[in-house]
Amino acid sequence: MVTGGATGIGRAIALKLADKGASVMIADINEEAAEKTAAEVRDISGNSATFVTDVTNVAACEGLAQATIENLGSADFLVNNAGVAGSAGWQSRSHSTEEDWKQTYQVNVIGMSNVTSVFKPQMTKRRSGRIVNLASIAGREGRPSLAHYSASKAAVISLTQSTALELARFNITVNAICPGLLWTPMWEQVGDRYAHDNPAFKGMNPREVFDSMIAERIPMQKEQTPEDIADTVAFFVSDDAKNITGQALNVDGGFFMR
Amino acid sequence: MDFEGKTAVVTGGARGIGRGIALELAQRGSNVVIADMDGDAARDVVAEIKAGGTQSYFCETDVTQQWSTDDMVEVAIEEFGQLDVLVNNAGVGGAPGFTTRKVPTVEDWQATFDVNVFGIVNATQSVESYMVERGYGKIVNIASIAGRGGRPGFATYGASKAAAINVSQAWAYKLAPHGVNVNTVCPGLIWTPLWESIGEWRSSTDQQSSGLTPRQIFQRTVAESVPLGREQTVEDVGKAVAFLASDRARSITGQALNVDGGIRQN
Ligand SMILES: NC(=O)c1ccc[n+]([C@@H]2O[C@H](COP(=O)([O-])OP(=O)(O)OC[C@H]3O[C@@H](n4cnc5c(N)ncnc54)[C@H](O)[C@@H]3O)[C@@H](O)[C@H]2O)c1
Ligand SMILES: NC(=O)c1ccc[n+]([C@@H]2O[C@H](COP(=O)([O-])OP(=O)(O)OC[C@H]3O[C@@H](n4cnc5c(N)ncnc54)[C@H](O)[C@@H]3O)[C@@H](O)[C@H]2O)c1
Repeated sequence: MVTGGATGIGRAIALKLADKGASVMIADINEEAAEKTAAEVRDISGNSATFVTDVTNVAACEGLAQATIENLGSADFLVNNAGVAGSAGWQSRSHSTEEDWKQTYQVNVIGMSNVTSVFKPQMTKRRSGRIVNLASIAGREGRPSLAHYSASKAAVISLTQSTALELARFNITVNAICPGLLWTPMWEQVGDRYAHDNPAFKGMNPREVFDSMIAERIPMQKEQTPEDIADTVAFFVSDDAKNITGQALNVDGGFFMR
Repeated sequence: MDFEGKTAVVTGGARGIGRGIALELAQRGSNVVIADMDGDAARDVVAEIKAGGTQSYFCETDVTQQWSTDDMVEVAIEEFGQLDVLVNNAGVGGAPGFTTRKVPTVEDWQATFDVNVFGIVNATQSVESYMVERGYGKIVNIASIAGRGGRPGFATYGASKAAAINVSQAWAYKLAPHGVNVNTVCPGLIWTPLWESIGEWRSSTDQQSSGLTPRQIFQRTVAESVPLGREQTVEDVGKAVAFLASDRARSITGQALNVDGGIRQN
């Protein structure tokens, strides 16, 4: 089960897990894109379903958990990937508003907790399960802008650690991935925002901001890709990682080492 | 298979975790050079790998000596034509006889840093120019969760493992523009000859542990500290190393991954 599985990183995760043989439930607010990704999954592994879900809505999450069981059976793996970087218009502001704080926490943190809660019973009952949460390197250290986003991703790491301890006795592992810099629709908007509120990027277009961040901050001198993240998700949910829990792994070309 | 046609060197590959790593890489198609001081045990691992269908070779190596790791790298390239993966796994808990000493001596500090830190530095220095020239290489260092934060008792070991994590980051930065990834695995609690000696050390120096066998001390430690409630295995570490040494982890460098059942969060 992949939240935000319709586009970007979530889509790559859905396709990778399909490639390894999994049936995939795709939960997203974007129904059209979700259906498209589900069709791609069906071409690979044969089995997929979608459920229109806003992760901030508890009733919708309950419906999702039920629909997953009915369509594909109880979930072995849960990937909490849905995320936002602010409330509408965040990319053209030069400061964080209360709405930005509320929206990022609603989706990135509380939404993650909502989805985890409704899938917990399926996993605890079978005494096995894997949960992978998408955090960000933004959650590893402070940044001069988008404080609300960084703080929400630090909260994701913390939530991952608490959930790992809570569910360890049920043989459920919970880990986080911190992606570095990926050229998705989300980063295009981040580039807009940085050109706005950081003098170092004044006058640049989003791609120029992105490229100069890569040049300055990524030791490998390369952007990361959704496939990079998907490969790491596939590792965490595999048997190979059965004794790894409570960890956050940076997939970031060396941006932030720990 | 991730390592079809590739060559890996595993230091300390003759037994324990190193043997687990060597067998895992071999199972995934790699030829493996076992670089260790213990020839008898190493030859058994070589035979085991060959029986599984890939090539293996024993190279007598003392990682505390630069000339010896130079030789190790040369032999690997000579024997198999290329070297893709270096796993720095050799490690010790102290100088010979450390299990009977309550307080580590200067020799214990020295031996621990010689193997656990300089062993990594030496082998990395021996291989880096080759990997940079090729524009490809994977280095995985074995540290420990003991390196994630200081604890009383085994300060020598913990400090050396913290240094190992730091040294890995330094080389990760240095080699990142050249297509070489350097990462670290921090194992938790794994029943190997090394842990047996740690158990002996506790049983002879710690009152709460006296009268218990090393295995009993190990099991008590697992029960008290592992959230997942079970010991980790050499296979677990082998699999994490195999992931980090594979192209699936192409964008991961400078990271340390705890394989510890949740003992320490990162
Ligand atoms: N792109 C990057 O560089 C980057 C870096 C670090 C972390 N991340 C994180 O990775 C994850 C995916 O990012 P992306 O770049 O693919 O973003 P994206 O915007 O391309 O995709 C996010 C998906 O989540 C869905 N979504 C948004 N709100 C939702 C909600 N309330 N309920 C259900 N679905 C919802 C969207 O419809 C979309 O399909 C996010 O958590 C993001 O914070 C991205
Ligand atoms: N066992 C655990 O629970 C545990 C936990 C965390 C980290 N580790 C680390 O994992 C690694 C392997 O540990 P293990 O438990 O398998 O230990 P082990 O003692 O069973 O095996 C270590 C191997 O390294 C070899 N070696 C020692 N000094 C050497 C040198 N100078 N040159 C070449 N080879 C040398 C030994 O001959 C032996 O084959 C070590 O770095 C150790 O610190 C172990």
